[in-house]
Amino acid sequence: MAGLNIVIKQLMKEKRDVVLSILFSFIAGIAAVGLFTASGYLISQAALGVPITALTVVIAIVKLLGFTRALSRYSERYFSHRATFTMLSHIRVQFFEKLQNLTPSKVQRFRTGDLLSRFVSDVESLQNFFLRIFYPPIVLVLIFLSTVLFTLYFSFWIALLLVVGLLLSTVVLPALFAKVRQTTEQPVQEKRSDLSAQATELLFGYQDLKIHQKLADQSEAFNTANDDLIQAQTKERKHELLNQVLDGWIGLLMAWAVLAVGGWLITSGQMEGVWLAMFMLLTLTVFENTQPMAAFPQYFLENKKAANRIFFKEDEAVSEPTQPLGDAGAIDISFRGVDFTYPDEPRSTLKNVNLSIPSGSKTAFVGASGSGKSTLLQLILKLEEASGEVYINSQAISQMTPESLWQQTNTVMQDQQFFAGTIRDNLLSDASDEQLTYALKRARLSNFSLTDEVYEKGDNLSGGEKQRLAIARLFLRDANLWLLDEPTSSLDQVTAREVMTEILRDAENDTFVIVSHNLRGLENMDQIIVMDHGEVVEQGTFDELMARKGYFYQLKEIERDTL
Amino acid sequence: MLLKPLIKRQTYIQLSIVSIVMALTIIAQAYLIVSIIEAIFLSNASFSAILPSLGLLLFVISLRAGMNYLNGVIGLHAANQAKKKLRNRVLSHFTKQPVDLSSQGRSGEKVTQLINVVEQTDSYFSQYIPKMIQATIVPLAILAIIFTQNWVSGVIILLTAPFIPLFMAIIGMKTKDKSEEQLNELSSFSGQFLDSLQGLTTLKLFGQSDREKSRIEDSSINFRQATLGVLAVAFTSAFMMELISMLSMGLIALELALGLIIFDTITFATAFFILLLAPEFYIALKDLSSAFHSGRESLTASKKLEEQLNEPVEELTWGEASLTSRPPRIQLNGVSFAYDESETVQDVSATIEAGSFVAIVGKSGAGKTTLLHLIARLLPVHSGDIFVNDIEQDQLGEQAWFNELSYISQHPYIFSGTIYDNIQMSKPSATKEDIDHAAKEAGLQPLIDLLEDGLHTVIGEGGRGLSGGEKQRVALARAFLKQPSIILFDEPTTGLDLKTEQVLNESITKLAEDATLITVAHRMHTIQKADQIIVMDEGRVVGTGQHDMLRKSNATYQSLIGDVAGGERDGWS
Ligand SMILES: Nc1ncnc2c1ncn2[C@@H]1O[C@H](COP(=O)(O)OP(=O)(O)OP(=O)(O)O)[C@@H](O)[C@H]1O
Ligand SMILES: Nc1ncnc2c1ncn2[C@@H]1O[C@H](COP(=O)(O)OP(=O)(O)OP(=O)(O)O)[C@@H](O)[C@H]1O
Ligand SMILES: [Mg+2]
Ligand SMILES: [Mg+2]
Repeated sequence: MAGLNIVIKQLMKEKRDVVLSILFSFIAGIAAVGLFTASGYLISQAALGVPITALTVVIAIVKLLGFTRALSRYSERYFSHRATFTMLSHIRVQFFEKLQNLTPSKVQRFRTGDLLSRFVSDVESLQNFFLRIFYPPIVLVLIFLSTVLFTLYFSFWIALLLVVGLLLSTVVLPALFAKVRQTTEQPVQEKRSDLSAQATELLFGYQDLKIHQKLADQSEAFNTANDDLIQAQTKERKHELLNQVLDGWIGLLMAWAVLAVGGWLITSGQMEGVWLAMFMLLTLTVFENTQPMAAFPQYFLENKKAANRIFFKEDEAVSEPTQPLGDAGAIDISFRGVDFTYPDEPRSTLKNVNLSIPSGSKTAFVGASGSGKSTLLQLILKLEEASGEVYINSQAISQMTPESLWQQTNTVMQDQQFFAGTIRDNLLSDASDEQLTYALKRARLSNFSLTDEVYEKGDNLSGGEKQRLAIARLFLRDANLWLLDEPTSSLDQVTAREVMTEILRDAENDTFVIVSHNLRGLENMDQIIVMDHGEVVEQGTFDELMARKGYFYQLKEIERDTL
Repeated sequence: MLLKPLIKRQTYIQLSIVSIVMALTIIAQAYLIVSIIEAIFLSNASFSAILPSLGLLLFVISLRAGMNYLNGVIGLHAANQAKKKLRNRVLSHFTKQPVDLSSQGRSGEKVTQLINVVEQTDSYFSQYIPKMIQATIVPLAILAIIFTQNWVSGVIILLTAPFIPLFMAIIGMKTKDKSEEQLNELSSFSGQFLDSLQGLTTLKLFGQSDREKSRIEDSSINFRQATLGVLAVAFTSAFMMELISMLSMGLIALELALGLIIFDTITFATAFFILLLAPEFYIALKDLSSAFHSGRESLTASKKLEEQLNEPVEELTWGEASLTSRPPRIQLNGVSFAYDESETVQDVSATIEAGSFVAIVGKSGAGKTTLLHLIARLLPVHSGDIFVNDIEQDQLGEQAWFNELSYISQHPYIFSGTIYDNIQMSKPSATKEDIDHAAKEAGLQPLIDLLEDGLHTVIGEGGRGLSGGEKQRVALARAFLKQPSIILFDEPTTGLDLKTEQVLNESITKLAEDATLITVAHRMHTIQKADQIIVMDEGRVVGTGQHDMLRKSNATYQSLIGDVAGGERDGWS
């Protein structure tokens, strides 16, 4: 239910529309019942030959009711759909917000196509929540109540019949179907997610699939997923169809029963014949309102699942961080006994890390691939949460609002991210065009103009261009902490050196942290931290580490050998 | 027209038969009800006298329900078949493209097109066509019966009928624009979502989260507006249909009442019969109008798909030839290629001897990756020729060519699946031992030892994350498994530490023994060992030769290796 509760909360933001929908739906329903009841009465009376004037009144009433019904139906639809689609747009935003608050490693646990499917299709399916789950039962009860009371005035038996029919079509039938459904439930949403994931993977991995001649296989996987989806949908929809047909059948059956019972009552003299046509028509119409109830369990279960897929459970943060990071110039960082384990991992990735990066210092991280360097940077950025404490300017990071930290940090991640749009969009800055152009120039990207197109993920940029564009972003910000994860690994040495000089010019008085596999130039670093298997194995200046003849020294030896 | 040919003739026949039976049940139902009521109400018949009619009525209403079900099921099946075919067609359109075209446009939009837009064609088959057939048969039958009973009522109905095509035309026009807008908004926010999703961290770090959120909000509000626009048309048309049907029903009722009371020309039975049948006439038409509406939406969707399918693809052509000798010799003769107006690779000529090791060097953006793409025939050569063992490359069979080739790209993609699957994809016939071995060669053993499920750990989207260097090594393992005769590497060791790189270089050397190896390289020690170095600058080859020669004579090369003053310096500070 957890998910649906949130949906209800969202829906209640549109209270006015909700109330109006219910009101108009009731009016439309009851007007229809009145309309047909009156026509039945009309025709019977006419057969008996009552004065024309009396009939004109009834005809006028019929007209009025008809018009009321049409207008109310229109209003009901308008308000209910407006409420619904407004709610859906709120939910979409909420879903995105929720993803934003997840750590990158948790997002990684989802398949992109799956998330897309939740965002588009699952949210879309929630439109049934208001339209078919929430208000139809309310309206139905109101209409039946009025109708049964009216009928009771004429005949107890027919009123009883209506109640039986109501129970049959709103309780017995749905319960039966709910039961059947539980055993044959079709995972349509999951299948759709699968299909979406297959499609996304095919597009994202297109080049590698092509090279490995796997496009046909992947297309095959897509087609299989498609068949699965369609099969599940078919079962689901046949089920729905059967529900609907049976419900319609019950309506007709009740009208039939009214005929039979009424016939019996009249022939045995307990009721006047003139009412029979009226009740028959009344029954036919009132049971039109039970139509939405047939599929109620189906929609309910589907929506419950969709809601839980959208508002999926996650571990709650222990306490909302409240303190912003004070803006006090250069930043120092210290790790005290920090352990970190990725979600669902049996082993910890970082073990008892102790280190300190003084403000204004220049620090390099080196170490084997997979030793935890990038992870460590993520912890400094509070992108992932560790146990043990990371302090920034002596403030515990766990209490810190991450936005305040990010604002003062200049980061280049190992995998840079880009967006479909222009170069200007991808600089992610509000600075003036001159400033943007200047930043491009400093990143040695002068051959690009701000309006040049950038494809999704920066697919039309070369490897080195991506890195330089990511660096250009930094020149537009005023930050005190630099965290660079192999920022120039795809650049030729000349360009790399030029760009690095530009960076160091800006970072002169700032705290500067770089991860690098290139051991040259580390002589000028204030501190080198060597990582291995998630632990800090050595730290010190270049000369200190060389003198120690430990891990770093070995690396330098290898470097010398390879040349 | 994309949708129409997807329906079988048989489906039309089935639907027509069902509709005819349905029309009969509707008429029979009304007839039986009337006769029962008449018998009791006016003829004072006994209860037992109406029993046969009651029994028959029960059968008729059940039959009607059955026909409704059949009608639905037939439509459903037609829709299923069609959706399968459509998804298939759109997907194979996407998979025909060369790599540069495939990266254009937003993936979210494409996925939505494949899934949601195709889904929207459903109602054409499941609603529109069945209702269309039903609406030609049922009302006609009803009208015919009414005419036999009381021609005045028939005329009234006939007079109101012309309004219906009129409204349909209006709905058709209105819905078309609105639903096009709706589909555009749908694509747009799907694209937006996926694009933001893959850059979520960057958006956070650069304080753009809120802006992105409001973008998503805007586009989903726009979608809401567009959807309401589409629906408003539907509601209005339903309202109009309702008014028309009410108007004529009122007229009919009046006419019947007059006939019944004043002129005494009609019997109660006839009047009641018509009163029961006339609404059925309008219900069928109302159904038609709503089906027409969703049918229009489907047609819009189909138009979108058609646009997509009609986009020209620059398909690469292949021949039948296979490689004559391994490893092959590759020759480039004046090869040029342009992504857009300006040529990214210009007039490149080079000879890559069989089994040799060639390094491509050049500044970032010089066109090295593009050249590798051309050699791999992931992109079509725009002018010039590539010969493989003196056979023109486009004469080779696609399978034959790619079977010989390993290409580790600059950013290899890790598929959602186990490490095992990710390696095996380069050679489906590989045994467990082969894969173990390849993983070892690629230096993955230490990682695998750490993992509980070892090689069977799920990685990629939805699985365990890997470090940058680990991803690179998984991709390299693919090449070690395949043992190809042509190896194309795009900086295979970026992101690897010296120790790992040392191990890998040994494996690569071994792998390259029986292969032609072409690699893009930035690191000195890789370049130095090459049999031939191709120096690129702004898409052109500005020098070829060996290290010692180039460092003396080639200015571009000198500046690339930072060898201006003599001593090598590739540090960055
Ligand atoms: N999302 C994740 N889930 C689980 N484990 C992960 C995840 N990301 C990384 N790891 C693991 O954590 C360890 C450290 O990874 P990290 O990315 O920090 O390494 P690194 O030192 O930056 O390596 P490289 O030089 O290759 O980039 C690796 O063993 C990696 O497999
Ligand atoms: N799909 C594409 N569409 C349009 N332009 C592209 C595309 N891919 C690359 N380019 C452009 O072509 C030029 C050459 O790119 P290429 O990737 O070949 O460079 P590179 O030499 O590999 O550089 P790097 O060393 O940085 O990887 C670049 O300017 C790049 O922006
Ligand atoms: Mg890393
Ligand atoms: Mg490149």
